[in-house]
Parts: sequence; structure tokens; C-alpha cells
Amino acid sequence: MATFYVNGNPVTVQKNQTLLRFLRDELHLTSVKDGCSEGACGACTVLIDGEPCRACVPRTDNLEGRHVLTVEGLSDFEKQLYTYAYGEAGAVQCGFCIPGMVLCTKALLDKVADPTEEQIRYAIRNNYCRCTGYVKIIRAIELAAKLKKTGVIPAPSETSWKLGSSVHRLDVEEKVLGYGKYPDDWYLPNMTYGSAVRSQYPRARVLDIDAEKARALPGVVAVITAKDIPGENKVGHIKHDQYSLIPIGGLTHWLGDPIALVVAEDQETLEKAKKLVKVAYEPLPPVHGPEEAKAPDAPKVFDEEENNVQAYKHVSRGDAAGAIARSKYVIEKHFETPWTEHAFLEPECAVAYWDEDGYVRVLSTDQSSHTTLHECKLLLGSEKVRVQNQLVGGGFGGKEDMSVQHHAALITYLTGRAVKVKLSRAESLLVHPKRHPFWMDFAIGCDENGIIQGVKASVYSDTGAFASLGGPVLERACTHASGPYNYQNFEIEGTAYYTNNPPAGAFRGFGVTQTCFAIESLLNEMAEKVGISPWEIRYRNAIRPGQELPNGQIVGAETGLAETLEVIKPYYDDAVAAGKPVGLASAMKNSGVGVGLPDWGRCKLIVEEDEKVHIYAGASCIGQGLGTVLVQMVVTNTPLGRDDVVYERSNTWIAPDSGDSSGSRQTLVTGEACRRACEKLTEALKEHSLKELNGEVFYGEYLAKTDKLGADVPHPVSHVAYGYATQMCILDKKTGRIESMVAVHDVGKAVNPRSCEGQIEGGVVMSMGYALREQYPIDENCKPIDKFGRLGLFRAHEIPEIQAIVVDKPGLDVACGAIGIGEITSIPTAPAIAEAYYQLDGKRRTRLPLEDTPYERRDR
Amino acid sequence: MMEKRFALVACNGGCRNESCAYGCLGCGVCVSVCPAEAIALNESGVAEVDETRCLGCGACADACPQEIIRLHEGANPIVVMCSNRDPGKAARAACEVSCIGCGICEKVCPSGAAKVTDNLSAIDEELCLSCGMCAVKCPRYAIRDLRGVLTSRS
Repeated sequence: MATFYVNGNPVTVQKNQTLLRFLRDELHLTSVKDGCSEGACGACTVLIDGEPCRACVPRTDNLEGRHVLTVEGLSDFEKQLYTYAYGEAGAVQCGFCIPGMVLCTKALLDKVADPTEEQIRYAIRNNYCRCTGYVKIIRAIELAAKLKKTGVIPAPSETSWKLGSSVHRLDVEEKVLGYGKYPDDWYLPNMTYGSAVRSQYPRARVLDIDAEKARALPGVVAVITAKDIPGENKVGHIKHDQYSLIPIGGLTHWLGDPIALVVAEDQETLEKAKKLVKVAYEPLPPVHGPEEAKAPDAPKVFDEEENNVQAYKHVSRGDAAGAIARSKYVIEKHFETPWTEHAFLEPECAVAYWDEDGYVRVLSTDQSSHTTLHECKLLLGSEKVRVQNQLVGGGFGGKEDMSVQHHAALITYLTGRAVKVKLSRAESLLVHPKRHPFWMDFAIGCDENGIIQGVKASVYSDTGAFASLGGPVLERACTHASGPYNYQNFEIEGTAYYTNNPPAGAFRGFGVTQTCFAIESLLNEMAEKVGISPWEIRYRNAIRPGQELPNGQIVGAETGLAETLEVIKPYYDDAVAAGKPVGLASAMKNSGVGVGLPDWGRCKLIVEEDEKVHIYAGASCIGQGLGTVLVQMVVTNTPLGRDDVVYERSNTWIAPDSGDSSGSRQTLVTGEACRRACEKLTEALKEHSLKELNGEVFYGEYLAKTDKLGADVPHPVSHVAYGYATQMCILDKKTGRIESMVAVHDVGKAVNPRSCEGQIEGGVVMSMGYALREQYPIDENCKPIDKFGRLGLFRAHEIPEIQAIVVDKPGLDVACGAIGIGEITSIPTAPAIAEAYYQLDGKRRTRLPLEDTPYERRDR
Repeated sequence: MMEKRFALVACNGGCRNESCAYGCLGCGVCVSVCPAEAIALNESGVAEVDETRCLGCGACADACPQEIIRLHEGANPIVVMCSNRDPGKAARAACEVSCIGCGICEKVCPSGAAKVTDNLSAIDEELCLSCGMCAVKCPRYAIRDLRGVLTSRS
């Protein structure tokens, strides 16, 4: 027992527990986020006697007399100060790390009125952020320091809310002050807790499940196994091969395969009961990787499949082999890229309950409430499901698949009780699909002027234990392997293999991060062979409006690769002239799903009793800022002002299905649907006031129509639009560390330029990790061995100067010209960095993370 | 301020000088060479650094006959306050607050920063996230939070 103070109020805690559990579960101070409960992430940072500490570390018995502060306990002035500073700087994306960052800010500013940038970086260096790359958080702290001294909070610098205005995002306050709700922040009356017992072996036959002891434990509500599933056991967005629960007699596919769901009245009983579930296995030899998977006598990962090939793609136009054979310069090389963990700050969590209309309501954190709905309906064999997005603490592709949502829905459906299913950080690292590791053989041929004649490649990937989006990722890796250049002889074949490793699926860049490393590295080497600069070879080959991409598509007037090269040129020339090691790379990335799939954007603008227009789109804001984008769309395309518009989080019963937050598509696809709804609303507003329009629904939909891969038309439209980028890395010659990154991105029309910069900075830092340090090692038991704090994510004190430059280029005739930026920010980074290291030491590096750099992990 | 390095005397002073071959002898050499009067012998007779005065020059570390003074990053308040390299049993006998190399710190460290080598825990400051999990879980109080928050000040 101990007595201490929380936000100035004395509290007496009987049960010794971590401060985190006490603050969240008993006081419901949910600004204190549970990101890992192991001391690593910093999301639960509070101040104890003025010092930043993670609430998951100390136990309450050791806090006698201490003063604990959470953001709920900040003064009104501090609340306004940090809300303004973080909003003005554009420092808030998914928001999960933000309350912790805010408390680090306070601790610093209470000690140092005028902190240097280095002091600021050190003040937040123990707190991870995966969205922002820290740049704008540092700016927010600088601004907060300045304003704290004046004692006056000014008006935001931009207030118009029209496209092109860097207004404060609409979700800043709820994220800074921590009252916005992620699923884990719900504490419903009589809520139970659910969790899965997972396979002990990566590949084994389940012989028996004995749950009697677990069921007999007081406080256990239910133990659910496969035979209890009312609908289809296997779910999956495209291919239904992800078992919700492995049945007796079934094969396990990886260590994350769920075998039984345990439901208990409280979290402690739940953990005890999970240990009491006894599963008998017949362990079988696992498939460790693609090399084993493709062997003729390889064990099969799936009973249901003929072999371990999950997907095969072949793309060919022109005569790549012939063109390369006739080229003056030819380079052939092998490249490898690793597994990468998304490391979003918010672990997966879902809450489910029976709602007042007799539906299983799922409160989710995922990349599409409608996709979750489809999967849950499939599993339950029932239409009685509704899904509602809560705040989403980052996704990056890792929250596209079912992880906990379907389990929560099943538990409520079977027990009738409200339930919270949350993954521990260790489970999260094991369970959600990762970025695919790729093995790639490339050949490129150029003429004497460095003009690309042809590219031929063969790649394969490890897609792990179920398909997830392995097929589309492979497809995108193949369609973008050509790079954004004007040549027509291109051939690639790709294969994705099932293995007993954790699953691989969507990850920001969606396969292109992998093949871009290969093609851009080759182009840099080719430039040297030809005797021109990496900048020159790109400028000569860059795809320009009206030209034909290697996939056959004629690109539109909005195509701005050459412009990104022109904008970066002075930076490049200056660095070269100063004798600095500098690397360059370019990329393109589709905006929209493309390749002939039905890619619908849908949006309803509903005038409600409050005489405001409510935006309902079944599209998830996963931290990228979709809500702000849609409000800016409405304010631009109607006579209404910001105060007339309300953004509603995605749900499945009012908001129409607008597809996944994937493929950098929401700004363009849902943005255009919203714009179309605005046309109808504007028409109505000519005759009527908002009061008169109460209850009216204005619906907009947009099909981003494309041709399927290999369509038999002269110039298939693979995607409605592409974003283009050129990034540059400058090294410090003395230290060998990155001095600065310059990232120039063509986004068509920047809806909110500061938000765009935030995406770029975050993407660049994420891929600095991919290029230099991040790993996800898997042991001989197919088990990922690292904890969150060992993944190698960059920290605030380590990041170089990052210059994000947004280029607007009009020409796209939908969504007011806006092209999504989510993924491309992460794509050209790694090859640009690899080239800079070549310029430093003359070593061509063909594997990621790059070897022989000061960032290399010494403990590996 | 934050990014500075400070001297750290890696001894808790629980040994009373005689039974531990590794700890602070209380000889005062560090006190005499410090240009900033930042080191003094505390009530246990063990040298202790006042970080508000320490210049991080390292003179004390060079002078210490026991080689138990090193510079640590000021931004990392979580430190191993022991230098005993004896195996567990001997280390336990030598002092009430000695590191016995049990490895709990290594197990609970979320970032791979805490490692036991030669029966003694050490924290890699580049990897350390200053969470203090090791300090809270150390059964011997050998790992401390210099801020006096997660572990007591004395």
C-alpha cells in the first residue's frame, strides 16, 4: 500500500501494481498510453516529481509521497500552449506518442527556458515516434518555449481551411490532451478481457485441446475453440487462408496461430487461465524461408495447397532480353532486403459489445472498418455486426489484416459480454504481417548516353504463414521495378512463397521499397559506367507527360518527376561542389489500388440537426490526417466555412465503404468522392439554408477505373495517378553519419502542405531505419527474437537535418489534383543513402540494412 | 546540459572498504585532482559526484587507483553503481548492495542495453532508453536512478 499524489490529488493504492495499470485501469487517466508495458516505447511517460518516467516501470508501493503528473493535470495555460504549439508545428499524426512527448516538453521547459535544439532532442530521445520523424515535434517544442515566455497564445498562422492551407489538423487537441479514444481507452461496464493461446510450434498438427482446467478457474468466462465458430473459420482480405482458430487435426502455420480464445473477468485471471489450456501437438519440421519452401520435397505450409507458392507474377513488355543484349553497358546484380516491423506505437486492440440495436459492435483500430466488417461477418456467419473506427495509433500497412477485431467480435457473439482483446507488444511483433523480405536479381542495359534500353528481373519474397496481401505486394513490386523512366523493354517475374515465418503483407511502399532499392542502385552504378552523374542519368530517362512507362501506361500532365529533379539540382550541385559524399534516388508510387480492381471512393455529406454538414466516409484516418483533408475538401468545394463542417470517424452503418487506407489512395479516391458530394451540396445550398436541408444526404462516389495487369490494350492504365519523388542523402565525411536528407515530392496539389511535409519527414526517417539499422531477426524456431526496443528504430537525437520540399504540379482532373503521398516518402530513401556511402568509401552495397556504416548494430 | 558527460563512481559504498576488492577505498585521490570541487566523500566514506559542478574532464577517472570512476552521459540517469566482478556468492558476501551478476537486468532490459560480463552488469549508453526497468527489478539495488525517482536517493 502507498499514498502519493496524482495531478495534485492524494491517492491511496492498496494493491501493488505498476503505475501504468493503476492510472489507466483504476483512475482511467487514458492519456497515459500503453504502448509496450516493457519500458521501451515511452508512450506512457508521466512526470514523477517533475522527471519523465515511464509509468509501466515503477510499482505503486514504491511511490510513497511522490507527485505524479499526467497531461490531464497540466494547467489550462499549459494545455492551450501545447495544443497550439503541436498544432501549429504540424507535430501530431497518429497521436499515440504525443501525451508522452508533451510531458517531456513540460519537464524540459520547467528546467530550461531557452533550450537549444540539442537539448530538445535529448529531452525526447527516449520516446519513440514512428509517424513524424521527430522533426515537427522538435519544432513544436521550440515554439512552445518561445510562447511560454510571452505567456500569450496567438491565433493559428493559417485559418482559411481551403486546399493549400496549412491549418492545424482537426484532431490536435484530443491527441495532445489525451482525451481522444483509441480502442484501449474504452472501459465498458462488465467488460471482460480476451486473449488467444497461440501455437507452441511454427508447424505442428494440433492433436487435442484440453481447456477443462482453464474453464474451471474462477473468473474465467469462456474458452472458445474452432468448433465454436458459427461461420467460416478462415478469413483474409483476398485469399481466405488465415485461420481464426486452428481446429483439432489442423496444421499450425506459425507461432502466432491462435488455437483457443480465453475470456476472463479480469486481466490477471486471463493470464493464469491461458497457461491452463493444454494443447497436444505433433511437432513437424517447419519451412524456414523461401529456399526451403521451393525445394521439390519441401514440407507444405498448407494442407490445402499443392505447393508453397503463394503468388506468381509475370510482367513483360517489349523485348527486355534482346534490348539488354544489344546495349553498350550492362550491369547484373543480386539484391536483398530484410523483414521490417511496422512498429506503430499503438498495439492492436479491439473492444466489442452488443449494441442497443442487437448488433455486435466492434470498436477497432484498423485501416478499414468495412473490411473488418466483411471479415467479422464471414467468421460469425451473421450480418449483425457493426464496426466503428476509433483513433488509430499508426498502421503503415500493419493494421490491414485481422489481428484482434474478429476475435473480439466472436467472443461477444458467443458470450454476450463486452470484451477487450489487446495484443501485448510481444504478440503484436509476432502477429501482424510484416514487410516482405525480397531476394532480387536484376539486369539493366543502357546505351552510350545512359539511356535505358531494357531491364529484366527475377524476384522472390517470403510471405510467411498466410497470404495477407502477399500477392498484391508482389505485383506492385513487379510493376514498379522498372522505376519512373521512359523505356519500353521490361520483363520481370516474381514469386511469393509461404513459409512458417510470421506473415508478411502490406507495409508503406507495398513491395516498391524493395525493388526500388535494386533498380535505383543499378542506375547509380550505371551513371558511373556511362560517365555521367546520378542526377544526369535520371534527368535523361525521367518519364515526362505524354510518354509511355515500361508498363505501357501513357502518363498524364500531372507527371512531375523531372520537376523534382530540377528542384533538387541546386542542393545536389552544392553538395557535390563542396566535396561531400552525396547520393540520389528517384521513385514513383501509385495512388489508388489500380490494376483493374474495383477501387471505389464513397462519401456522404449529411446535414444534421446542429445545422452542420457531417462528413461520413468509410475510410480510416490512421494518423495521416484524412479527416483534415476531407474537411479542407468540403471548405474548398462548397460555400461553407470550417465551423459548418464536422468530420465523423469511419463506421460501417452510416459511412459508405470507401476502401482501405492503403495504396496512398484516400486523399485521391475518397477526396474525389467527397468533392463530387460537394457539387451536389453546393447546388442545394443555392436554394436552401443548412437549417432547411436538415436530414438531407449528399452522396458522392468515384470509381478509380483502371485496366488489369497484362490487359490486352495498347496502353493499359495501371493506376489513375502516380506520385513522384527524388531524395538525396549527404554524409558527413568525418563521422560517416548522415548530415542531411533532402526529399522533393510531387504531390499534384498539396491539400495541407505542413501535413505533407510531416508525411515526408516521417517516411524518410522510417526508411533511414530500413536502410541503416532496422532488423527483425527470426530464429531457427521461426520465432522473431527482438523486443520493440531492439528493432533499431531511429530516436530523436540521432536524426539528421531533413528538408522536405513539396512540389505542386497541376494536371490531374480528380480530387482537385491531389495525389496521395503516404508511401512514396519511404521509397527512394534507401538507395539514395546507399549511393552516398558508395561516394564515401567506394563500396557498392546490395543488401539492407547497409553494412559498414556507423549505424550498423554493434550487438549483432 | 543534457548532452554532457559526468563522472560516476561505480560503487554504492555498502562494503565498508575491507571486504570488497573492487570498491571505493575512500582514498580521496579523486577529490584532490578534481578541478571543480565536484567530488566529495559521502557518509559511507565513498566518493560521490555532484553533477551540478562536474565538468566531465575525466581527471578523477584517470587518477582512481581502483579504476571505478568513468564518465557517463548526463542524459542517462540509470547507472550501475558497483564494480564487483566476483562470482555471485563472493559478491554477495562482500557487500549488501553489490551486483551479483544474476542477469535480471539483462532479461528485463527492453533495448538490449544491459549486459552482464564478468559477473558485473554494464549498461550500453547508446542503446539505453533510461526506462529504469533494470533499476526497479535489481534485487540488489546495485542499479540506480541518479535522479532519485525510480530508486531512492540513498
